[in-house]
Amino acid sequence: MPWYVHLALKQLFPAGRRFPFFTAISVLGVALGVALLIVVTSVMGGFGYEIRRMIVETEGEVQVKARGLIDDPAAVLQQVRRVPGVEAATPFASGVVMVMANGRPAYPAIRGLHLDTVGGVVDLAAYVRLGTLEELDDDSVLVSSELARSLGVTIGDTLEVYSPLIIERLRSDEVFLPREVRVVGLVEIGHQQLDSSMLYGTLRLVQDLYGLGSAVHGVNVRARPGVGEDELARRLNAGGLPAGLQAFSWMDSFEEFLWVLNLEKGMIFFLLLFIVIVAAFSVMSSLLISVVRKTREIGLLGALGASSRGVAACFCAQGILIGCFGTLVGLGLGFAALAVRNDAVMLIARLTQREDELRRFYQFSNLPAHTVPGDVATVVVLTLAISFLAGLVPAWRAARLRPVEAFRSE
Amino acid sequence: MLQAAGLTKTYASGDRRIAVLRGVDLLLRAGESVSIRGESGAGKSTLLHLLAGLDAPDAGELRWNGDRIDAARCTAIRNRFLGMIFQSFHLVPELTAEDNVLLPRRIGGRVDAAARRRAADLLARVGLGERARHLPSQLSGGERQRVAVARALMNQPSLVLADEPTGNLDERTGEAVITLLLELVAETRTALILVTHNPAHAARTSRHLTLSEGILHHG
Repeated sequence: MPWYVHLALKQLFPAGRRFPFFTAISVLGVALGVALLIVVTSVMGGFGYEIRRMIVETEGEVQVKARGLIDDPAAVLQQVRRVPGVEAATPFASGVVMVMANGRPAYPAIRGLHLDTVGGVVDLAAYVRLGTLEELDDDSVLVSSELARSLGVTIGDTLEVYSPLIIERLRSDEVFLPREVRVVGLVEIGHQQLDSSMLYGTLRLVQDLYGLGSAVHGVNVRARPGVGEDELARRLNAGGLPAGLQAFSWMDSFEEFLWVLNLEKGMIFFLLLFIVIVAAFSVMSSLLISVVRKTREIGLLGALGASSRGVAACFCAQGILIGCFGTLVGLGLGFAALAVRNDAVMLIARLTQREDELRRFYQFSNLPAHTVPGDVATVVVLTLAISFLAGLVPAWRAARLRPVEAFRSE
Repeated sequence: MLQAAGLTKTYASGDRRIAVLRGVDLLLRAGESVSIRGESGAGKSTLLHLLAGLDAPDAGELRWNGDRIDAARCTAIRNRFLGMIFQSFHLVPELTAEDNVLLPRRIGGRVDAAARRRAADLLARVGLGERARHLPSQLSGGERQRVAVARALMNQPSLVLADEPTGNLDERTGEAVITLLLELVAETRTALILVTHNPAHAARTSRHLTLSEGILHHG
């Protein structure tokens, strides 16, 4: 080990002292900054990750849509399945309806599923909390859990479904009665918006409600493992689809939302980085005081044959070592905080008696977190770089000190 | 072994320049011990700094083993050529006695098993074999100076410069340190320049010099 690293370690962790106060405070400052950065980037990443999971698991990675309706879904399905990278495809129809139950109205979205093929694209059965997907037929629906609660319905109850077709029929003086459907299951995706405003029925049911005949609104596509959603959408658009149809990856569909999410993440990262910078200034200030306090020792090192560069390296090494230990402790604190994040959020909500608001306004049932290795690497590299820079000014001051001046200061 | 010729050093004091050394000549042979006495402010420490290559003279020339020494570029050579002992000991407070003794070797290169053995031997020789793991704060003044003596000899230098090594010690302890220092340099055939106010200590070296009005006088 080079002498300057050995001496830097000894000065940070002096032998015989159980608690090196200066080192502990400096390391803690850096660690808090790192921990906050890890928590914030992971939670912000978690929102993006959960949205992807939710969309991909309920709709597939890619959607094929027309400007209007797809009149011949069987032909489109055939063409889509021929494209390399397509694992499965299923047609869908969707729209907004009004439902009434127990005298209470609601305006959820309804999605029509092709029961023979939907299983290859979407594992909806995994989200059915009560009842089963198998019981779904043209006269029944699955209701999202929060919607069922607000309507006061459960399995076996009946809903009246009013479609926009009623208004069209009224214009031609026709009476179009609401459709009565049974509730055969409750669905819980884990996303507040979906869990409070979704109905799932058969494709035939939705086609009837919207008067689509055999037409559909689009085709959901599942990619083979290892094939990216953007790549698959590109392949489909490159020649696999009939004229007038276009494939969109889930990221295309939510491009603006994801851009805002990334912008928020970048801004918060930038702002929180200042905590590390402030900690680095505190380290620099402590090291500068150390240079003044150790003037004689710096002179001694020169007298013993240490070069100015070596003396500078000793103080730089102290900055870097504080950065390394701070980063390690910060990573530990950050991941520990992530592990207990939901308990902490619920505890705060309970203490402030805001549990209901939390559930109502929060998009997810749990605070999501997804740590991207690239984000962790960025935090580590930036923290070490800032710590190194914090050591440079004291190092420069120490290197400029001539041994003879140090001894003369006695 | 050490040759100084015409060393001159002046310091600015307001508009004036005060000459501290006025052409000092000194020739030191291997294994020789020399004492330098003089009044406070006579320039003894300045002379030691020049001889150690820590400061550059305004005029004159310094040679170590025949090589001309440039104060700005002699750092690495200093590590091997000389050891220094100071009045205030100048031990690194965060290092144990053993690590303080090993410091010159660490700065000069690698600390291997042989270096550790030598450090242990030196500490044993100065009577601190049992205190190797102690920090300077756990040692008395005399013990600290003995650690400094061991450190000065660690790299087997050709020359030891001792700047009033007993200045901060009581008479009995100072006597013991000087005795030890003289024994060690004699055993290892290391040259010694001892700056001291104490005539008894000075008398124990092979040659006695006095610095007065910027010039070295014999006797």
